[in-house]
Amino acid sequence: MTQATPRQHGPLYFAWRRFAANKAAVVSGLVLMILVLMAIFAPLLTKTNYDEQKFLTDAYAMPSSTYWFGVDDLGRDFFSRIVYGSRISLTIGFSSALFSVLIGIPLGAAAGYYGGAVDWAVMRLIELFSVVPSLLAAMLLGALTGGGFFTIVLVAALFGWVQVCLLVRAQVKAVREKEFIRAAQALGASPGYIIWRHLIPNSVSPIIVGFVLAIPLAMMLEASLSFLGIGVPPPLPSWGQMINVGMNFMYFYWHLAVFPTAALAITVLAITLFGDGLRDALDPTLKGR
Amino acid sequence: MIRYILKRAVSILLTFVTVSVIVFLMMHAVPGGPFDGNDMPVSKEVRDKLMASLGLDKPLYVQYFKYMWGVFHFDFGVPFQSPGETVLQLLARAWPPSLILGGLGVVIGATIGILLGIAAALRRNSWIDYIASTLATLGLTIPVFVISMMLILMFAVFLGWLPAKGWDKPNSWYLPIAAYAMIPMATYARYTRSAMLDVLNKPFVTVLRAKGLSERRIIFQHVLRNAALPMVAVFLPMFIGTATGSIFVEAMFRVPGLGAYFVSSITLRDYPLEMALILMITMMFCLAYLLTDIVYALLNPRIRFGGKS
Repeated sequence: MTQATPRQHGPLYFAWRRFAANKAAVVSGLVLMILVLMAIFAPLLTKTNYDEQKFLTDAYAMPSSTYWFGVDDLGRDFFSRIVYGSRISLTIGFSSALFSVLIGIPLGAAAGYYGGAVDWAVMRLIELFSVVPSLLAAMLLGALTGGGFFTIVLVAALFGWVQVCLLVRAQVKAVREKEFIRAAQALGASPGYIIWRHLIPNSVSPIIVGFVLAIPLAMMLEASLSFLGIGVPPPLPSWGQMINVGMNFMYFYWHLAVFPTAALAITVLAITLFGDGLRDALDPTLKGR
Repeated sequence: MIRYILKRAVSILLTFVTVSVIVFLMMHAVPGGPFDGNDMPVSKEVRDKLMASLGLDKPLYVQYFKYMWGVFHFDFGVPFQSPGETVLQLLARAWPPSLILGGLGVVIGATIGILLGIAAALRRNSWIDYIASTLATLGLTIPVFVISMMLILMFAVFLGWLPAKGWDKPNSWYLPIAAYAMIPMATYARYTRSAMLDVLNKPFVTVLRAKGLSERRIIFQHVLRNAALPMVAVFLPMFIGTATGSIFVEAMFRVPGLGAYFVSSITLRDYPLEMALILMITMMFCLAYLLTDIVYALLNPRIRFGGKS
């Protein structure tokens, strides 16, 4: 004799339902997926590598059926450069978001769990980062370390962890007051164990949201630094640096300015809208903040 | 109340001093010096003499205290890249274009943003709400130089209505101001909408409606006034933010302002100017946050009477 119980749904099911109802987020998710595939399969999509100056005689050629996005000032196929540019932008975005999370989680969890002096110290550190003009500090750090790919990842993470830290801190502070934490403490669990086994697993949604929202910030920082000529060193294709070059030719060869501008705008917008949708889906109480 | 303000002031001052030490150390840790450039090579003896005459041969902590001593007397030194004037004179010459364009941009952007936010909150899920949220997302996500590029491409290159660069003609001001206005507009559209919605759901609004007050008076006299606090708090940081925004806007529109000096002071190792620029912005942020804390304390009785906030 089995009793018919109504089908139970987990929280993930409801999160997915909320996400799927958000059209902008779903479309952005699809765009993001296409961009990631584009970055992974870049060699299959393009005829030449990003730094091959194969078309010097056709330099500045307008977009056509042979050169989809035209040819740039140094005789390189511009479509190849834009497609390979997504690799740079996405790699920097994802890896520095990862580092942001790695810095933000322990600091946020410690500040939220211990409170008191630890919280005070972490909050002063955050205050420090909020009064320093991040772009100037990033420029200075770039000059200090001589620039380069990995430096930008670290610099972006250095300024991206604050948001993750605040999100994790708020969540840990709320969960710390729950009874099961009290129970764990009564059973003699060490603070490290409680943070690792109970508080961080309960902060997964703010961590995911913080991770996704840190990506566009890092991508913007990379593009800004490359635009100023102190970011990713050429000939690596960075959209920010392509915009800077395209600016000089925009009245005659508009394609050199239009395509990198559009690529950067679409990518950043897609990730932000996807992240907003994810946040609303995972934690409806944060909506509109 | 006074204790709270003093506590905040000390904490902010500590932050400021920490920043100044870190920036000073970082600045001098950058390899190369101000006279290592290739365009005017100097022999080692000449360079050593120059360094000594500027006090750059002294230990770092001596240089730091000497510089900060000057700062407390409003003496920021002489910029290496234009030794004919002091840092303050350079700022007085280069800052006005940035301030005018940035200030107009923030004021215009904030006004449009507040109006959009009010309209969006009053007509939720209508077309105006969607337009406001789309503009807000665009303005907050897309870097300012990409927005500038879009404006230039649209209005200067394809339509040809406005000049893409310059500063002397009045019609060359429109595009840079529009570029500056995007971030404040986006921020205010978002803040106003959520602050208005918060207040509109409070019971006292229902009471006002029941009392028979006109909707217009409810919105402008009661709701907006109650929603204003978080909106005031973001104004100053945003205005200061236009200073770093000027790096891009002025590079894009070729405005002779402060923007270019942020980059050149770092690339040319122009220590006095570099330190002055970063310290000024940090100081303005510190003062803005302190002011915000004080205003909040004055307006919020829970902080004023020393309770838990």
